[in-house]
Amino acid sequence: MSTAFDIVLLLLLIAIALAVARTKDLLAASIIFSAYSLVLCLLWQHRGSPDVAMTEAAVGAGITTVLFLVAISKTVRREK
Amino acid sequence: MKKALVIALLIIAAIPLLIGVAALPPHGDADTPVQTHVSARYLEKGVEEARTVNIVTAVILNYRGIDTNGEVTVIFTALAASFAVLLPAAMARRAASAESDEAPPVSMVVLFVTRLLAPFIALFALYVMLHGHSSPGGGFQGGAILGGLFVALSIVLGAEKVEPLLKSPFAPWLRIAAPLAFVAMGVFGALLTGFYLGFPQQEALRWASEAMVLIIEIGIGVGGAMIFATLFAEMEAQ
Repeated sequence: MSTAFDIVLLLLLIAIALAVARTKDLLAASIIFSAYSLVLCLLWQHRGSPDVAMTEAAVGAGITTVLFLVAISKTVRREK
Repeated sequence: MKKALVIALLIIAAIPLLIGVAALPPHGDADTPVQTHVSARYLEKGVEEARTVNIVTAVILNYRGIDTNGEVTVIFTALAASFAVLLPAAMARRAASAESDEAPPVSMVVLFVTRLLAPFIALFALYVMLHGHSSPGGGFQGGAILGGLFVALSIVLGAEKVEPLLKSPFAPWLRIAAPLAFVAMGVFGALLTGFYLGFPQQEALRWASEAMVLIIEIGIGVGGAMIFATLFAEMEAQ
């Protein structure tokens, strides 16, 4: 369990979260948000909880992103 | 005036919550039940009592089984609620445009890769679902992977290719599979042990305990996959 790797992942998480909040293009924001789930999945795995990591990868990075994309395709792409 | 009322209501609502937080033991306190005996009991006796090597599954399905039973019921209720909102609009849209939507133009590479990977994804989903008692994973994770496969196939091949599954007479039963499997196994456990969701401990009934875990995992997996696939199809039909 190297703490340095955890710190890198956590800093990456904060950076991605800020990027999601600042992005006006909702399509881009959804894709960045799926990267957030992917980094979080790595963090779960590294902290020794593979069950949660699997759920995060399948639901967070997969299904949620697809549902976001469907919602965007049915509405508008730009945040007003 | 309205703003002041809202702030006053928020403060009134916050007081009991803050009192509740103040009553919590400090973070990392060594004297809480979790630290003194609960976790230790799960880790020491989990394999023997719950008959599952993966302690996470033992906690989710056995020690805290009634919690999980409630959770899967909540997920199914959420789907039913979204149905109530989405279905009438989708039905009206369908009736208005009689022709079925054609498969969207997909790049040949995406089409080929999805078709090539589909059986392997399905196999992996089943493995995760059925192997949850002895390795990381379980019904929910496997169901999410299977649901993701349905979504990918309906994007690449067109929605009408997966429609027979969603419109079949078994579809409602598959959607409610998770709570159904849980309640069925709960009653089965009640018949064997006298407690709802009681897992028999005797050596002679070991098979029953293992079968209950397996059936619940399959139920959660199939139900979860169906719920994801249905949600996607409903949103797509808007």
